[in-house]
Order: sequence, then structure tokens, then C-alpha cells
Amino acid sequence: MRTISEKYKKINKTGLLFILPAVLIVVLLLIYPIFSSIYFSFTSKHLIKTRIDWVWLDNFKFVLTNPDFYVAFYNSIKWTGLSIVGQLLIGFATALALNKIPKYSGFFRILLIIPWAFPAIVIAFTWKWIFNDVYGFMPNLLTAIGMTNQNINFFADPNFVFGTVVFINIWFGSPLFMVNILSALKTIPSEQYEAAFMDGASAWQSFWSITIRHIRGVIGLLLVLRTIWIFNNFDLLYLITGGGPSNLTMTLPIFAFKVGWGMKQLGVASAITVILLLFLLGICLLFFKLLTKWERDDR
Amino acid sequence: MKRKLALILIACMMFSVTACSTGTETKSDSGTATEVPSKDKELNGEIVLWHSFTQGPRNEFMKEAADSFMKAHPNVKVTIETFAWSEFYTKWTTGLQSGQVPDVSTALPNHVVEMLDADAIIPINDVIDNIGRDRFYEAPLKEGTVDDNNYSIPLYSHAQVMWYRKDLLAKAGLEVPKTWDELFEASKKINNPEDVYGLSVPMGLGDLLATRFLNFYVRSAGETLITEDGKANLTSKAAIDGINYWVKMYKEVSPKGSLNFKTLDQSTLFYQGKTAFDFNSGFHIGGVETNSPALLDQIDAAPIPKINAGDETQGIETSNIPMVVWKQSKHPEIAKAFVESLYEKEKYIKFLHSVPAGMLPAMKDIAEDPEFLNNPTIQKFSAAVKVISEAVDKGTAIGMEYKPSIEAGIITSQSVIEEMFQNIVLKNESVESAAKVAEKKLDDLFKLAQ
Repeated sequence: MRTISEKYKKINKTGLLFILPAVLIVVLLLIYPIFSSIYFSFTSKHLIKTRIDWVWLDNFKFVLTNPDFYVAFYNSIKWTGLSIVGQLLIGFATALALNKIPKYSGFFRILLIIPWAFPAIVIAFTWKWIFNDVYGFMPNLLTAIGMTNQNINFFADPNFVFGTVVFINIWFGSPLFMVNILSALKTIPSEQYEAAFMDGASAWQSFWSITIRHIRGVIGLLLVLRTIWIFNNFDLLYLITGGGPSNLTMTLPIFAFKVGWGMKQLGVASAITVILLLFLLGICLLFFKLLTKWERDDR
Repeated sequence: MKRKLALILIACMMFSVTACSTGTETKSDSGTATEVPSKDKELNGEIVLWHSFTQGPRNEFMKEAADSFMKAHPNVKVTIETFAWSEFYTKWTTGLQSGQVPDVSTALPNHVVEMLDADAIIPINDVIDNIGRDRFYEAPLKEGTVDDNNYSIPLYSHAQVMWYRKDLLAKAGLEVPKTWDELFEASKKINNPEDVYGLSVPMGLGDLLATRFLNFYVRSAGETLITEDGKANLTSKAAIDGINYWVKMYKEVSPKGSLNFKTLDQSTLFYQGKTAFDFNSGFHIGGVETNSPALLDQIDAAPIPKINAGDETQGIETSNIPMVVWKQSKHPEIAKAFVESLYEKEKYIKFLHSVPAGMLPAMKDIAEDPEFLNNPTIQKFSAAVKVISEAVDKGTAIGMEYKPSIEAGIITSQSVIEEMFQNIVLKNESVESAAKVAEKKLDDLFKLAQ
């Protein structure tokens, strides 16, 4: 058994020195806000007032007894779940299609990645314009070709609003799935398909046992990252609907923003973010358990 | 181990998105004593000016004003930082926590109340006295006054009036509506979707337009949205009638998308000639001129309608945009001298002319000065300017009918009334119960802010 001093001697101190600035930045930019938020969640922290008192669990009580919190929580789950499924299906389908295109696949890849390159503000205003019921392209087109009797307002009609914002999010996020899945598809050795063909495997069997088996690790990681990003997404939804109409698109980040910046109750907003953290940690644990199982199966 | 580390890092990542917004805690400076600027004393130092005039001519004016001030005071440096109103609030609230506020700035009346509540600004009675207290209209001065101390000085004023399309009214053989019922009938007659709508009734969250529209109705009935003792007042007869009126207008003559409309969406429709009526200030002239110059000859303004034509004229909504001097300023004497310099007659009129008819004088003598009135836009829209000027004189900010109050800021910033309208329209909630719920929600927010 090696002693601690032996272990210490084996540590590459120059290497540690090189990573020190990055570690410091991580500590300053990530760790500090987390601990300050946990601290604020137990206080009366106000956006403007300087006096801070301990309120312990009062902020959590306020949040958990507020009906708007549950509306926002339900909307967040719906928003994340539908967006993730849509982005995965569209991204997967386009990646499979691009993988089969022998020529110009690079051109199509660039074309399809364009939505990802736009800032949220541009996306929000463009889609708001497209779906505007007075001068927007889409409602006027649908009326002109006789599909609707009068212009629909996609962001004001309770039957359409959620589906419309999810559609925009799928349009925005599926290129990321496409690019990553396509890269994973390119790494599958063609010999495996040839061997499966020789053994009489059907197209479905090849797809399930070779294609899916090879790329599920990438898909799993993408699901973890996108779940966190979409659940925490604020800008796109806020810029398009502001959480409305009638709170139909209000998610937890918008709720936290309204409480923190609108009502100026940063302590309460911090409590919401702490609850958000605990929930997402639980989801991530589930995903990681699944990924670990896949890794074990592959060994 | 690696997996655990990855999990911790991911947790850090996702949390930091929302956590970063909570900022840091810094106790505000205890403040600087008020100092009367003396004309004999040589000013020396550097000040920072924040303003929200992002548009060309007004922005240019502020630069010129700072340059001329620095020329007159060679030992002074004025640094200008410009923010749109939407960013301005975030900027000063977060700045206050970290000590990063300017020496002098523009503000909105609701902001002034919050600045006072946060003990962030200082009295500027001396500046007002130096310019001439009697020259100012009384109501705008009152908005920033607490215990005889003036914490803000009005820079310009504008008021909400009804804008209409003369050509559409003439085509329909209609007179300019004087009552709410006449407005409804006229809007209904002109309404011809999707070519032109009678009137857009905006209810978008994150803006105050539905609150503003309801306030028009409630004020015209002599009522207020906030009572004298600082309670929300959405269940009065006037408020219930007003809510019913705007819901009826929305259903009959408004584009359905106006449920989500904010200021830009609302104004854009009028600029594009898609609505026959709209409510706004003199800034509408510039908007139409820029977007649809051909429509400029077809628009005019009239007073906000009344319940009955013979009713007494009530003050509705006036916005007085003031300047404030910050407590954390190291050179309040320079900040005050700079503010005073903006009111020199020639400079001040030049400033007002940068948005002619949009920005009206906060001083009575300037409002009647031929030099101010001698402007092509002001002359072309002289009738509209008269209507706006009369409205300016009588109105107040929404919710400040009795006194400057923190509640007024809450009622216009929390979208509670907008949400109430959306619930009535989308969820078919009864007007009475939706009003009751919204009133309680506002009262809870008022208590939370204490």
C-alpha cells in the first residue's frame, strides 16, 4: 500500500498549476452563485432593499403553497418532455437521411444547422411575425388556401399556443441532435452491416441491434444536456409569450423571474431555483443510471 | 467517481443559469449631503449621466448638452451611458446593490417612488428654486415630492389621448366619439377584418396596456384603480363596467392576437393603418411619420371618451419624465448644475423639438413661448397638441391620483390586470370573480412590498 507522501510525489504539480486558473473560474462563476442562492433562499433578500433577515423555510412555504408554482411546474415538464421528444425524432430522422445522402451532405448539414446559429431574440421576433394574425404570413396563407375561415392567432388561442411554442423549440433544437447523431452514425463500421446482411438480418434488426446500439450513448448524453437546457430555458419562451396567455406557457424559470425581478423577492426566487435544482438532480440521476446500464450491457 | 464528478458539474451548470441572477449583497452608501450649487464656485470632478433617450435627435441633444456643459466648466467631465427604458430598471436596481449607479439620471415616475423607498436619491429643491419653482406645472412636481422635499424635477410631459383616423371616420359618416358607447359603435361600424380593425384591445403580459385601458374607463368615471388608503380597487362599479366594456370591445372589434399585444405590437397596427382608433401620447405622430408618412394627414387626437358626454372632464393619465440626482454621487453639486443647465430656455426648447408634439414642456412659460410653438409639426398638429396639453395638466401617473406610491409601480408592472383580462377571455371566468381574484392578488403584492 502506497503512503500519502508517495501519492503526493506522483501528482503532476505542473499540470495542476496549468488547470488552476480554470478551476478558479469554475469556483467563482459556478460554485459561488450556487451557495449564495442557497443562502438567499433562507433569507428575505430583496432586489433593492439592503436589509436581509433570516426567514428560514418561509420562502419555500410561500412557493409550495402558491398555485402558480404548480402551473409553472406542470408547464415546465410538458414543455421539456414534448420538446425533447420532438427534437430527438426530427434530429434522428434528419441525421439518418443525411447519412444516406452520398453527395452534398455537408451543404444540407449547414443548411439544417442554421436555426441553431440564430440568437433567441431573432427567433422570437421572426416567429411572432410569421404567426401574427393580422399581418403574419402563416395565418394569412392558411386563410388564403381555404384551410381556415379566418386568421388564427397561434399565440392567443389556448388550443394552439402551447403546441406552437413547442414546435418553434423543436425547430430550434433538433439541429443539435442531428449533428451529434450524424457524427455517431459516421463512426459505425460498415462491416457490421455487411456481416448482419450475410447472416440474414432484416433491415429492422440491423437498425435496432447495430445503429441504435452504437448511438444510444450519444443520444443519452444529449438527452441529459437538453433536458437541463430546455427545463431552464427562459429567453425563447419569455420573448415569444411572456408566459401567457393566461399563464398557459408559464414555466418555472419565467415564474422565478417574475418573482425575483417583478416582485423583487430574490429570496423567494432563490427558493424556486433551489427546488428546480433538486428536481433536475433527480432527473439527471435517473438518466445516469440508464447510461450506466447501457455501458454495462455493451461490455 | 468520474460519473459523480460529472453529475456535480452538470448540477453546477444548470443551477448557475438562474442562480447568477440573484446578484450580490452590498450595503448602500450612507449618502452624500445635499449641496446647493453655487454659480461662483468652480466645479471640478467627473459625473456619470444615465439617460434613456436611445432615439437619434434626443440622444444627440444629450451629447451636445454634456459637451456644452463641459465647455462652460473645463474641470468637469460628463460621461454618458444610454439604456432603453426596459433595461434601465434592471440596470439601476442591480446597480444600487453593487454601488454602480450614476450621479444623475432620467427616471420614470414609478421608478422615483421606488428610488425614494430605497433611499437612493436626494432632494433637489435648490435646483427647482434656481430655475423658478412657479414656472413648473404643479402636478408633475408633486409626483416626486415627499414632506416638502422635491426628489425629482420634471423634464417633459406627455398624456394619453385618443388617436383616430379622420379618413375612416369620414368614409363611415361618423363624428369623433365623445363617449365610450360612441367609441364602441364607431369601432364596430369601421371594423372590417383583416383589412382594418375598429380598435385593438391589448392584454399582453409584461406590459401595462390592459391596465392603462382599464384606467381610462375608471378615471373617466371619476374612480381610481388604487384607493386613497393604498388598496387595489378592481371591484368598484366603474372597474367592473370598464372590464366588461373592454372584454366586449376585444370580442367585437379587436384582432384576436391583441391578447398578447405589448406596446410595440399595438402601435405597429396603428402605424400600418390597420386600426381606426388607438390610445397613446403625441409620440404617435413620430411613429406614423416614420412608418407610414402617407397616413400623417389622416390622423388626429381627441380627448379620452367619457361615460356620458356631459360628465365632468377628469384627469386621466399623464407621464412626467423627470431627472434625479443619486445619493451615491460623489459630486452632487456638478450633477445639480448639469440638470439646471438643461432648462436654459434655448437648450430646453431644442430638446423638446427633438420629438415635436411628443415631448411637451414641464414649464408653463415655455408651453406658451412662440419659440416653442414655432415648429412645423407642432403647428400642423396644433389641435392635437392642445388636446394633449389639456390632458397633461389634469392627469397623473396610473395609481398616483392621491400621492406617489409604491402600489402604483406594482399595479403597472406585475401584469395582474392583464392576466385577469386573459382569464376572462380565454377561460370564460366571470368578470366579477376574476376582478375579485385580481384585486386580492394585488393587495397581497402590496403587503409583500411593505
